[in-house]
Amino acid sequence: MSVSPRKLLRVARWEVSRATGSLDRKTAVLGAVALLLTLGVAAGGVLAGGVALDEDIYAVAVGPDSPYHEPVSDSTPLEAVPEGTPNADVYVDDRDPSDREATVSVADTRKGQAALGAFRSAVERHNNRLLLAEENQSAAFPVGVTLSYVERASQRVGASDGTAGAAGADSSGDDGTGGAGGGGGAGDGSAGAGAAGDGGSGSGLGVPDLGGAAGSLFGGQPTGSPAEISPPFPFSSLVLAFAFLVPMNFVIQAYGSTILNERINRRGELLLVAPLSRTDIVAGKTLPYAGVALAATTLIAVAVGGGPLSVAAVFPIALVFLAATFVGAMFARSFKELTFVTVTVSVALTTYAFVPAIFATVTPVALISPLTLVVRDLQGEAVSIAEYLFSTGPFYLVAGTLFAMGVGVYREEDMFTQRSVPLKFLDALAVHLHRPRDVALLSALSIPFVFVAELLGIAVLFALPEGAAIVALLVVVAVVEELAKGVAIFAGFHQSRFERDLPTALKLGALSGAGFFVAEKATAVVQVVGLGSLPLGRAAFGTSGVGGGLGPLAGLGLLALPLVLHVVTAAIGAVGATRGRRAWAGTLFVAMAIHFAYDLTVVSTLG
Amino acid sequence: MITVDGLRKVYGDFVAVHGSTFDVEPGEIFGVVGPNGAGKTTTLKTLAGLIEPTAGAVRVAGESAGDPETRTALGFLPEESPLYEDMTARSYLRFFADLYDVPRETANQRIETALDDLELEHRDRRLGDVSKGMKRKVAIARSLVNDPDVLIYDEPASGLDPLTTNYVLEYVRELADAGKTVLFSAHNLYHVESVCDRVVIMNEGEIVARGTVEEIRDEHGETTYRVFTTAPVDGSEPDGDRHVSTVDSMDAVDDVREAVVDAGGEVVDIRTRESTLEEIFLDVAGQPMPGSRRVAPDSADDERGCESTAPSDSPEAAE
Repeated sequence: MSVSPRKLLRVARWEVSRATGSLDRKTAVLGAVALLLTLGVAAGGVLAGGVALDEDIYAVAVGPDSPYHEPVSDSTPLEAVPEGTPNADVYVDDRDPSDREATVSVADTRKGQAALGAFRSAVERHNNRLLLAEENQSAAFPVGVTLSYVERASQRVGASDGTAGAAGADSSGDDGTGGAGGGGGAGDGSAGAGAAGDGGSGSGLGVPDLGGAAGSLFGGQPTGSPAEISPPFPFSSLVLAFAFLVPMNFVIQAYGSTILNERINRRGELLLVAPLSRTDIVAGKTLPYAGVALAATTLIAVAVGGGPLSVAAVFPIALVFLAATFVGAMFARSFKELTFVTVTVSVALTTYAFVPAIFATVTPVALISPLTLVVRDLQGEAVSIAEYLFSTGPFYLVAGTLFAMGVGVYREEDMFTQRSVPLKFLDALAVHLHRPRDVALLSALSIPFVFVAELLGIAVLFALPEGAAIVALLVVVAVVEELAKGVAIFAGFHQSRFERDLPTALKLGALSGAGFFVAEKATAVVQVVGLGSLPLGRAAFGTSGVGGGLGPLAGLGLLALPLVLHVVTAAIGAVGATRGRRAWAGTLFVAMAIHFAYDLTVVSTLG
Repeated sequence: MITVDGLRKVYGDFVAVHGSTFDVEPGEIFGVVGPNGAGKTTTLKTLAGLIEPTAGAVRVAGESAGDPETRTALGFLPEESPLYEDMTARSYLRFFADLYDVPRETANQRIETALDDLELEHRDRRLGDVSKGMKRKVAIARSLVNDPDVLIYDEPASGLDPLTTNYVLEYVRELADAGKTVLFSAHNLYHVESVCDRVVIMNEGEIVARGTVEEIRDEHGETTYRVFTTAPVDGSEPDGDRHVSTVDSMDAVDDVREAVVDAGGEVVDIRTRESTLEEIFLDVAGQPMPGSRRVAPDSADDERGCESTAPSDSPEAAE
């Protein structure tokens, strides 16, 4: 049955009236006020530099006339206490006017050592501030270095005055100049200490305006001694980007409840009898919540200075939140299970979206999260269409596939049963299995999930030593891909959609492997953003035959071999699936082992 | 109006309906009876387009069940009344009228008529705050907002008190008199006997008897005759100052009459007793109707509508 926009909108309007009618107004107002207060306090705290969990944790006994009193007073973790105060962590004795150096003593404890470190840093920062205040900056800073932070993938580090530095590996930049990371470029003689960041304006990954304590906590200090200069960290932008995720958690609670409510006491049965398609019903019930998510996203974007890019980047995240909650609510047997589902969705998606964005200025891996686009938008940086599609494409595909899966079981025979979640998952797959070739389609549709899982694997593992990370990632790849190819076949046998015999198993294995292989080629999109330049990116996706730089024969072989691999391993799993769950688990393990061995061989051979 | 041809529904290894076949004529009230698990709800839901048949054809008004045209011409009442309890009766009915593309003015008129006919009070009270009987009436009103030709009612009187039950059954009769075709399932055989024109009895997914109640009685039931005499004969039992012989045919009645005359007595009364639908069900299905309630005793017409949990004495009718 086709979708009828008119009926869809009627369901949507009804859903709005029901949702608003069933919510006590006082509760809604109180909730909104509490949410606004929470967000306001958090945002205000961050923007005003009020993030100071370490305030006054070390007591420093220092006299009010001591030159060290001011650095101590200005330091967040240090608290100036009168001389002679017992149990202070640091004692500063500079009462002897003939001695220009003070005597500093600390307790012989770990806290004392930490207090001494904080004291030393505070004094150094104080001295830097004094130097910055000097009128003659050339005298204060005889050597000036301008740092320009650029994307790691492009490997460009240039000196400010255009002179080439020494020892710059792979350093030819677009401007025709190369520079060494060591800052070998000579300064132009001007006072250049303050030129490191532009607070988010201009091209490249400039140091954002960190604001107060956040800046000192997370680096990005624009001036100071070389030891204090650290790579930029978009703390404020990240926190603001995170704010986009907060409303999702509220929206999915309400959305999950309304979906499950249709299943309690068979309420949804009457809508299923009405002249509406299942898609009309689901789209109509989803539309108001997607609208709320979009409105909240837009409001937050306006509030934090984001543009349409931020909204366009966050919307697919909202869709996945809703789609995952929809499927969860279709599978859950009670509101208790639904709570578990929504919390899982919330934690998993927040992690997936937020963690990679932390590396927004460091590595292209960060682009697997659309929040990275938000961070860039908040810093005023441009994002290409390819980058947008790379970040959000998997989200759109995952959301679409999840909704399709949920709509498949949005019918009387599945909605009102009390089967376990795994069985319902198999049901949801099996309803799409009418012919053997449908297995190929389901395998192909699993690609967005495989892609997301493997990207997450990269994001989690890339901090490990390269060798170990690659091996671990290959294990992840083998497990994820074999599961993706095998689960539809298992669902088909489990739900008696296919004959449990060897020829059928081999046929299904071949179809599943082929479908997966074809769709896997879509992962070539990783090349668009340069993920293939990373060893982990090559390990995860290069074995699928999308790597470049090979001769035609080797390229053809690398293209065909994965087809053989996928067909063979899927067929092995399918044979086990004909004999039940345990046999499937056994053959699946064998298939994973073969897959891992193949990938390891390819990665080792290609380097 | 409704054609079911070889309907078969299988859930995994469980066969819920084995190749059922029957037709329902326009304006007829057709009963589907059977114990839990007999397959009657599956049959009704298949007709409503909620469940896809594994095999067989199910057509309503010439269209396949589940087609949009069929759904538009159909009113379905499930066994429970799963209403949206935060809505009022009026808003609930208007919403469904909207879904069925009923013009606003027509919808309002139909809703008020249905609510009046069903004597529904508290029309603007939230449905969560009204009684079960009221909810059932709202559910029935909802099945009528699109003015369907075919009504499929699954246990319409389920869980209602006797007064409301009678009211609902009478209303169903009125709907049929107004030209609606009603397919009706019930546990309670008295409801079926009192309302349905024709009946199928289902057991374990199969139709085990079909026809009018009388036809089913003729085919599957039996008539016994109690002959009261002033003198004893072979096989008679004393009954006060008389004697009673129970026989199963009119020939046997004649034999008793002759024997009594030979013994110097006479026949003073003959009473016939026919099997109830419940006894027939017990006979053909091999098990009693769960949840069925018996209607006692001689004058069934007078007793209809009353529920009794009395032991299953046979209703008798004096001839």
